[in-house]
Amino acid sequence: MGNLFRSEEMTLCQLFLQSEAAYACVSELGELGLVQFRDLNPDVNAFQRKFVNEVRRCDEMERKLRYLEKEIKKDGIPMLDTGENPEAPQPREMIDLEATFEKLENELREVNQNAEALKRNFLELTELKHILRKTQVFFDEMADPSREEEQVTLLGEEGLRAGGQALKLGFVAGVILRERIPAFERMLWRACRGNVFLRQAEIESPLEDPSNGDNVFKSVFIIFFQGDQLKTRVKKICEGFRATLYPCPEAPADRREMAMGVMTRLEDLNTVLGQTQDHRHRVLVAAAKNIKNWFVKVRKIKAIYHTLNLFNLDVTQKCLIAECWVPVLDLETIQLALRRGTERSGSSVPPILNRMESFEDPPTYNRTNKFTHGFQVLIDSYGVATYREVNPAPYTIITFPFLFAVMFGDLGHGMIMAMFGAWMVLREKPLAAKKSDSEIWNIFFGGRYIILLMGMFSMYTGFVYNDTFSKSLNVFGSYWSVNYNASTVMSNKDLQLNPSTTDYQQYPYPIGLDPVWQVAENKIIFMNAYKMKISIIIGVFQMLFGVCLSLWNFIYFQRRISIYCEFIPQIIFLCFLFLYMVILMFVKWTNYGPSTGDVKTGPYCAPSILITFINMVLFKTNSAPAVCDAYMYSGQQAFQMLLVVVALICIPWMLFAKPALILRNKRKMHVPLNSNHHNHAMGSENGDAEAALSQAQVPPPLPPHKEEEEHDVGELFIHQGIHTIEYVLGSVSHTASYLRLWALSLAHAQLSEVLWNMVLRNGLMFEGWVGGIALYITFAIWATLTIAILVLMEGLSAFLHCLRLHWVEFQSKFYQGMGYHFQPFSFEAILDSAAQGPEE
Amino acid sequence: MIGCIFNIDGGYLEGLCRGFKCGILKQADYLNLVQCETLEDLKLHLQGTDYGSFLANEPSPLQVSVIDDKLREKLVIEFQHMRKHAVEPLSTFLDFITYSYMIDNIILLITGTLHHRPISELIPKCHPLGSFEQMEAIHVAATPAELYNAVLVDTPLAPFFVDCISEQDLDEMNIEIIRNTLYKAYLEAFFNFCKELGGTTADVMCEILAFEADRRAIIITINSFGTELTKDDRAKLYPRCGKLHPDGLAALARADDYEQVKAVAEYYAEYSALFEGAGNNPGEKTLEDKFFEHEVRLNVHAFLQQFHFGVFYSYLKLKEQECRNIVWISECVAQKHRAKIDNYIPIF
Repeated sequence: MGNLFRSEEMTLCQLFLQSEAAYACVSELGELGLVQFRDLNPDVNAFQRKFVNEVRRCDEMERKLRYLEKEIKKDGIPMLDTGENPEAPQPREMIDLEATFEKLENELREVNQNAEALKRNFLELTELKHILRKTQVFFDEMADPSREEEQVTLLGEEGLRAGGQALKLGFVAGVILRERIPAFERMLWRACRGNVFLRQAEIESPLEDPSNGDNVFKSVFIIFFQGDQLKTRVKKICEGFRATLYPCPEAPADRREMAMGVMTRLEDLNTVLGQTQDHRHRVLVAAAKNIKNWFVKVRKIKAIYHTLNLFNLDVTQKCLIAECWVPVLDLETIQLALRRGTERSGSSVPPILNRMESFEDPPTYNRTNKFTHGFQVLIDSYGVATYREVNPAPYTIITFPFLFAVMFGDLGHGMIMAMFGAWMVLREKPLAAKKSDSEIWNIFFGGRYIILLMGMFSMYTGFVYNDTFSKSLNVFGSYWSVNYNASTVMSNKDLQLNPSTTDYQQYPYPIGLDPVWQVAENKIIFMNAYKMKISIIIGVFQMLFGVCLSLWNFIYFQRRISIYCEFIPQIIFLCFLFLYMVILMFVKWTNYGPSTGDVKTGPYCAPSILITFINMVLFKTNSAPAVCDAYMYSGQQAFQMLLVVVALICIPWMLFAKPALILRNKRKMHVPLNSNHHNHAMGSENGDAEAALSQAQVPPPLPPHKEEEEHDVGELFIHQGIHTIEYVLGSVSHTASYLRLWALSLAHAQLSEVLWNMVLRNGLMFEGWVGGIALYITFAIWATLTIAILVLMEGLSAFLHCLRLHWVEFQSKFYQGMGYHFQPFSFEAILDSAAQGPEE
Repeated sequence: MIGCIFNIDGGYLEGLCRGFKCGILKQADYLNLVQCETLEDLKLHLQGTDYGSFLANEPSPLQVSVIDDKLREKLVIEFQHMRKHAVEPLSTFLDFITYSYMIDNIILLITGTLHHRPISELIPKCHPLGSFEQMEAIHVAATPAELYNAVLVDTPLAPFFVDCISEQDLDEMNIEIIRNTLYKAYLEAFFNFCKELGGTTADVMCEILAFEADRRAIIITINSFGTELTKDDRAKLYPRCGKLHPDGLAALARADDYEQVKAVAEYYAEYSALFEGAGNNPGEKTLEDKFFEHEVRLNVHAFLQQFHFGVFYSYLKLKEQECRNIVWISECVAQKHRAKIDNYIPIF
């Protein structure tokens, strides 16, 4: 088990693999997912690498599989996803796979081609059927006896004028896309100068376009015209508009005969089409059973060859050299996996795994489980921890839900949230298997443990605030009692309870807030004072903890100079100013109260902590009414001045001590080194002065120039200056920033109270059966708003504020976040991302 | 202020267009592309760029024409997407861009029918951006007047065509004249449209269109040497919205050979630089390439300013240039003719 508090110790390893065994070994490592390979040929193009042909073959196989998948989806055949994870097949199996896919693809293409041809035929016949049916109507209209007379005379006259010959109208009939009709008609009119007659009728049922299977609407048209010239012209236009022309006999008897023929052929075609579809279905069903499995296999092969492409070939060409980052603790497992791979490939030479020394920063690898993962993600989205730096995630597991709960404190809302979280946690496996595409759901599901904890902590703080949907619970019975008589209570609007008399039992409510405050007018004032102080107390302690974590970092990295010049002044500054203020709060809480006889410790003389603190920093004297003491204890003023002066001294200490010490150490190094090697000098090219100091015996390879050094010094001071200013100003602003705990908590409480008073209360005001209906309606509204606004929106806002408190106020005290992720070569990750990819 | 108003309608599309622009191949990509041994290598490399898996579903072996089609298809999809989301006046602006493709398509179809090619063979060669409903029925027409009355009168090109009706019949010479007259009318109309839009759009687009007009004038002149085109007819074809108008065009109209054209260009700083060092000898760049380079430069400059429509035009032109480059490189790779592979025109 790795260290929870820091990232795993990593080491760079060199791996010698025998060419024959390389594939099997990499496959084993991919199953393991604990090794991050480095690209040893970064200058080589993707297409100039060694295994590019294999990668290409995999691409081709994937293409075929995608084609199959597309066809399967088109037919709506369910794909079997057993979730099994086949091992990467041997390279020789690749040929079998290729052959299988090739065969399937060809078969499918052939079937599709046949089907398309048949469908085209079918379409043509259907169109012909429609033409025959529709034109029948046209011809029938013409044959209408009432019109016949007119037509005959009309034609007769014209016929006479044309020179006695019988004038014969030619016609063409066809089918055209319905949306093209207007343009078609216009074009006909223009091109033929109005000498054609067009009739059209819509085909009601949609026809299927054989090339892509879409449904299209078409119309039947028939054009009458005179003469051959017009005929060619009309035909050209028809062609131009992609209209299909069909022969249509003039005699009604012929038409009827043709229609019969068409019908029988359609019947035949339907059976053939059905058989083709059946065949296609069979092929696809067979493929659908295996397709997921095949995808996994092909993707694994591809991943392996991609990885092999990162390797170097040694001179003898017999062995592949890889470099990889490996967690030190897992070296054993990796050795085992390599041995397994060698055995599988039947090679006799075992692979060699060498640990290498490296000056590069290793990747950051935090081992997580499903519980800690969500919290680690919260931290990593700010910045991945520098290698081996203190990982704030373990502390965040508690502090994050707690700070959230301070803002979200409400027993009812917390319970809703906790139940939602608990549901997701309990039904984890079935929900995870569903693999939803909804991004929002995935975010919620990914943070299910966070939500559960946030809900539970909110229930706790809600109980302490005694707040359940803005109402209080009277669990233990209030410790206050009203001693006024009934008439006084009824006639006076405002009455006070005096805590120093028998109104109060003189000892507090066992846990949380006394329910009596629910009816008090000054509840908000009381809660504000309480929550504000609590916020500051929590904030100061969290920041102190952050500074202490930096000490742990310095000790681990052996930066003694930083302990003396950064940690100590920082902690002094924070303690002497802000921790002191916190202590004053406790002093005030314990020393001042209503029941003491002395007026000096009574409510009248209780000093304001805020004013005291401001006066302290400004070196002013406190003022107080005549009967009171201006100070809480004797010698307070002198003590406070001492504290402020020491805290102020810390600022130059932080600012100058470290750069000055580094500079002095450098000078010291210079003298002896210069006398020995002319060129070697102590320097810090990478700006990491501490590291340079701790590795004094390792001389840096590059001789720093004079200029560079001066540049370094300036940079050092500026850097330290920024840090100091950030810390000093940060302490003030961050402390103030923690007041958001109070502000959000107040807003939440007020909002839920408003919601209750404005919505649900209205439903409770009616009597009788009307009340039932009113309550029914108002409850629905109230419940919706509670979930949508108070739980979701307020929850989100509290979450974000909480995130900020962790990222900025807490982590800025110690966290660098300059590392990079450990991205092991893992089949699981590759398959997951591939499964996500095509759905986009 | 202009920015606020512009962004109401055009902000999204401009952002989109600039995003697309970032996907244009860089010099480093070209350096990799020219090293490719086969088209498969090319495909592999293009996968790493913004083109992504646009060739992933094409069965091997790849053909250059497939690459060309796919490149064009991708560009057309992007352009159509922007066109569908555009509102006035950007929609008209984008339509104007497509008119030039319409002209090309019409000329292609007429020339094809003149040589008795079946129309179904010609249609796939037409640019999809310039297709219109009546396009396929174009072979009905035998004379320009018929062409106008039957086919073009409903298209947006109708106003440009008015000048061509007088031509007698459709032979090769007349088709060329029709093409250039159409282009001239189109360029002038587009130029005026951009000018009316005003603002940065006018600044940027007028610059680009003026160059386009001048390039046409120069090329028409050079190509007309040794043909039966008279000088008067030639002068009628010059678009009159460029920087050469009016003096340069008048001088061009009198030119008799290449040297005289060059002499005219001497008067204009940006064009004389293009003629400088242009030639057909190996090692020299052709005048055409020089023009392309200048066009690319102008189009790249269009992206330096914000809140104008020029980016859409420039994006399309740059992307077209990129397609030409990729196709050129693919051709060279496919034909194993590596000597000229570097003759592509880099964009960034």
